[in-house]
Amino acid sequence: MIHLDKDETKAMVAVHGWSGICLGLLLYAVVLTGTAAVFAQEIGAWAAGHLNSQSAFEAPVDARVRRLSEATPAQYRDSLNLFEVGDHGLGAFFHRDALDAKGMPTERGIYYQLDHGGRLTSTVHGTSEEVFGPHNDDALSSFLVDTHVRLHVPNPWGLLLTGVLGLTMLVAAISGLLIHRHLFKDIFTLRRNGSPVLANRDMHSVAGTWSLPFAFVLAFTGSFFSFYGTIGVPVVAMAAFRGDVQALSEAVYGNPRKSDPRPASIGDLDRVTADAVRRTGEAPTFISIEHFGRADAEITSYHQPKSGDLEPVALLYNGATGAFERAKPTVGTRPSAGGTLSGIMGPLHFGNFAGILSKAIWFGLGFAMCYVTYTGMRLWVVRRGQDTRALAWLERTLTVVGFGLPICLLAAAAAFLVTMPLGSAVYWTTGGFLIAAGSVIATGVVIRSNEALTRTLKGTAGLIMIALPLLRLFAAQGPGWSEAIASGRPMTPAIDVGCILMGLWLVRAGWNAARPAHRDGTVIGKGVRA
Amino acid sequence: MTTAWLALLALAISAMLIVVLCQGDPKRLRAAGQKGAAMLPRRRRVLAALACLPGLGCALSGNSAAFMLWLGGCALVGWISATWPRRKSQTGTGALATRNAP
Repeated sequence: MIHLDKDETKAMVAVHGWSGICLGLLLYAVVLTGTAAVFAQEIGAWAAGHLNSQSAFEAPVDARVRRLSEATPAQYRDSLNLFEVGDHGLGAFFHRDALDAKGMPTERGIYYQLDHGGRLTSTVHGTSEEVFGPHNDDALSSFLVDTHVRLHVPNPWGLLLTGVLGLTMLVAAISGLLIHRHLFKDIFTLRRNGSPVLANRDMHSVAGTWSLPFAFVLAFTGSFFSFYGTIGVPVVAMAAFRGDVQALSEAVYGNPRKSDPRPASIGDLDRVTADAVRRTGEAPTFISIEHFGRADAEITSYHQPKSGDLEPVALLYNGATGAFERAKPTVGTRPSAGGTLSGIMGPLHFGNFAGILSKAIWFGLGFAMCYVTYTGMRLWVVRRGQDTRALAWLERTLTVVGFGLPICLLAAAAAFLVTMPLGSAVYWTTGGFLIAAGSVIATGVVIRSNEALTRTLKGTAGLIMIALPLLRLFAAQGPGWSEAIASGRPMTPAIDVGCILMGLWLVRAGWNAARPAHRDGTVIGKGVRA
Repeated sequence: MTTAWLALLALAISAMLIVVLCQGDPKRLRAAGQKGAAMLPRRRRVLAALACLPGLGCALSGNSAAFMLWLGGCALVGWISATWPRRKSQTGTGALATRNAP
């Protein structure tokens, strides 16, 4: 391994420890919500009781889009975005480029939402920031994603904050690699019966060593997404496009073509989607139509990576004829290494490149990252064992955040399941989280022993997990297991079973820890072992 | 063969070898007070190289998705096998040995 002298190692240990202890709690929140957000789509469908398994783009969309375009004022018919929404419904945003109140480029238009049968369920006028947001049936998944992406801090500060946290994770991973002299020798070593410092150190370093490559990948890609729009785009626009973000976007992502403003009917969208499915093996995730209703219209169909690949696919079609033109690189007009790197950032971060298997592995890796973050902070406290009294508040805070945050997320899910049928899930999903957060903090203040606090929080989390499938069935009137499986939604019973098993395990762990035989030993470090 | 099956096959082979490496890890066994069962360094190196071969196969076949699945899966298998509670030493010296560890 890389050999550092004593002073350098000491400095690296300080960098590793302080970077973790200063931003570790926020990093833990981002990583935990990111772990849950890997399955955001599945959790959203589970909670909302979705039963359709056929993509909106595998159903006829052409007639629906033509009907909507006739009802749309001409001023908004310049461009159209099509995407899936809700229970495989169709979202259609007719818009034109505009500037917002602060002079920033945006899109203004009309957003239509259709259900899977093609019935119009809502129409909203406004800018893209105003029309897109959580809806009653996707409030839970939106909440999870929003917490992970920007911790609910207004943009751009939320994105900058999570970007800095990503860099902190990167710094911790690099410094951890440098300070660990026996990386491979210690890769299986876990001295559970050693001193609390030794046990915590081993738990932290074993999980950290195995997940090290993914700590780099997830931290780098996460920072990339956070800084891309907040720093990257404005800086490049300033340097190369005199601050014109629109021109930058056109140059990097646009389809340079001779302008032809003559009116022309749009090509057959059903033919385009069928051709795109045939070429990629996957239904589109997003379709963008530029210059809608003009002779120079262009349709871009975006897809998940093909089987065996990591790079998402984009196909370009002639808008007027619907004829296939070419596969479109992620960046620019020709394939490039930079374009490929930029393209694989998303799949590498979200783990959505090979269906449920890749999501399951990324979920496990996310959990490992949570474990590394939490045990790292624990280790920092345990190492300063002689100052236990002074650091008691930090140990308590670690327990409250470490075990309390999962409770808050579970409470948000429970609040969603209860209030979704009433139509107030957007408000109460956040409300449930905040009420649970207040309760957990109050519990942390009231319960004196850290051990008892850990036990209480684990037991509470377990009980809420066991209650979630019941709430889904009886409060949210969700589908039963046989109905879900028959509709091609096996994830619904799988999530139910996962919740029940995990809940039972947590309740059992809390119960066992409460028995007198387990009350010996030191208090610090016990929370991790339990 | 689909990406998922290729990745699962590669992962299954590597997982077996990782578990064998974990079982025979000298430092882990020393911590448990079972010095006799430790694997020789040369054998460990060969097993580690063999565990990497399925991933190399995925990479050389050009299946980048299978390679990433294999890599992520191996990380999880390694972590789980290291943290899996091991059987207690018959003599019970392991606990004593590690309790006195520096």
